[in-house]
Amino acid sequence: MVQGFHQNLEQQQAPAFFARGPSPFARLVFFAALSLTLIATDSRLQYLSTVRENLMVLLHPLQLIANAPSQLYQFTNEYFSTHHRLLNENEQLKKQALKQDVALQQLNILALENANLRDLLQANKTLAESTTLAEIMHIGRDPFAKKIIVNRGASHGVLAGAAVVDATGVIGQVTRTYPSSSEATLITDKSLAIPIQIERNGLRAIAFGHGRDNTLNLPYLPANVDIQRGDKLVTSGIDGIYPVGLAVATVSEVKVTPGSPFAKIVCEPTGGIEKYRQVLLVRTPQVDVVNNNLAPQTSDRKNNAEKTQPQKIKEPKQQPNSTKPQSNNPDKPHA
Amino acid sequence: MHNSQLKFIYLSLLFAFICLLVPWSGIALSLRPDFMLLVIIYWMLRAPNQCNVGTAWFVGLLVDLATGGVFGQYALAYTVTTFVGLVYQRRLVLFNNTQQLVYVFLLLVLSQIVLLVLKTFAGNEWLGWTYFLPSITGILIWQLAVMLGLNTGKHSRGN
Repeated sequence: MVQGFHQNLEQQQAPAFFARGPSPFARLVFFAALSLTLIATDSRLQYLSTVRENLMVLLHPLQLIANAPSQLYQFTNEYFSTHHRLLNENEQLKKQALKQDVALQQLNILALENANLRDLLQANKTLAESTTLAEIMHIGRDPFAKKIIVNRGASHGVLAGAAVVDATGVIGQVTRTYPSSSEATLITDKSLAIPIQIERNGLRAIAFGHGRDNTLNLPYLPANVDIQRGDKLVTSGIDGIYPVGLAVATVSEVKVTPGSPFAKIVCEPTGGIEKYRQVLLVRTPQVDVVNNNLAPQTSDRKNNAEKTQPQKIKEPKQQPNSTKPQSNNPDKPHA
Repeated sequence: MHNSQLKFIYLSLLFAFICLLVPWSGIALSLRPDFMLLVIIYWMLRAPNQCNVGTAWFVGLLVDLATGGVFGQYALAYTVTTFVGLVYQRRLVLFNNTQQLVYVFLLLVLSQIVLLVLKTFAGNEWLGWTYFLPSITGILIWQLAVMLGLNTGKHSRGN
């Protein structure tokens, strides 16, 4: 009976030109409905994030295969790089290290002094940031979004929400973590906002990515706002995500249109958004309100101050450009 | 016969997927053709029984996963494109290479338009006409494949 059925089927399949199963239109309706449901589920509800994480694990080996050619190219390039270039680079690095050593000595003293002053003021301890060094695997494939994928993920302790920083400034924020990689949205993406402060006068505002070209906008600021071309924007740190005082952008254009109550302010990011391969993922620990209210013992506080020192020393390495990170402190009590 | 063809379909899709995963950047990223859709259109012409709307949907989901966008966007774009392709599939295999090229171009543009509409609904902005460059590089690759001997034309009729 079953065999007969199969024969029957095979006979039907013989002129394959006609045997097509359900009509294309039926398939279209079915699969289009399925994808629309998926779009709605994924964009409005968070059910699919774990599914995506698990599937990304399967994708990882393929990604490694795809990355292999470019990595091989880089490796051979580095391997055959000339003796001369290496010597040059070495010399430059030595000079840079010397400069930074001098700066570091001053910083040690300042850090100690700062810790003492904070002790005196019974201020909250500066919280230590945990950092992870990561390498950019590739730029996001979606032409509509500004994203990068880095090679550190949940298994390395990266959490969504961490700030992404390179040698010259903030470049973005981790928005999704997968087991062995994570996706960071750049500050130039339209969906990302970053709380900033003008370095010159301490004015706080929120910068939004522009999306199309690599710029940031400062919307909702009155036309008479005290912002000039060339002003530096640094992170204000009031969001509890970005550490205080990291360079974000420089104001490149301030346009006041008569008739509009708002100024149009365009800024260019300081961070080398499409230049560097290595980035630092910085996670600011959440402030524990209860612990801060209970006045901790002095010895405990000293221990913590000592602990934080090596972490604080790291910070200026990320941003050798910002000459006066202390300039924010006088403004802080107003916050 | 059918099984070996299926194997070829999956292998070529895997290869296209790896091409998609290659770390593209800068100009190359804006020129990158949609490899997966090209492979699907090719197999849809050659073997409409094996490579159909369902295959396109699954492949679209894979692309959604790889691009990190909302699930279902590429899936819907590929589904619609394959449907339009399938409706005219029997006529398409009778076309000569130039006519096919035009048709493939229209299909690629269609998938990009569907994607653009979905992205615009999600609040994204129009990226300018350079957004359609991948369709042009797509047909260049198609033409290259035809010149290298991939048979999409009359002789594959009835497969």
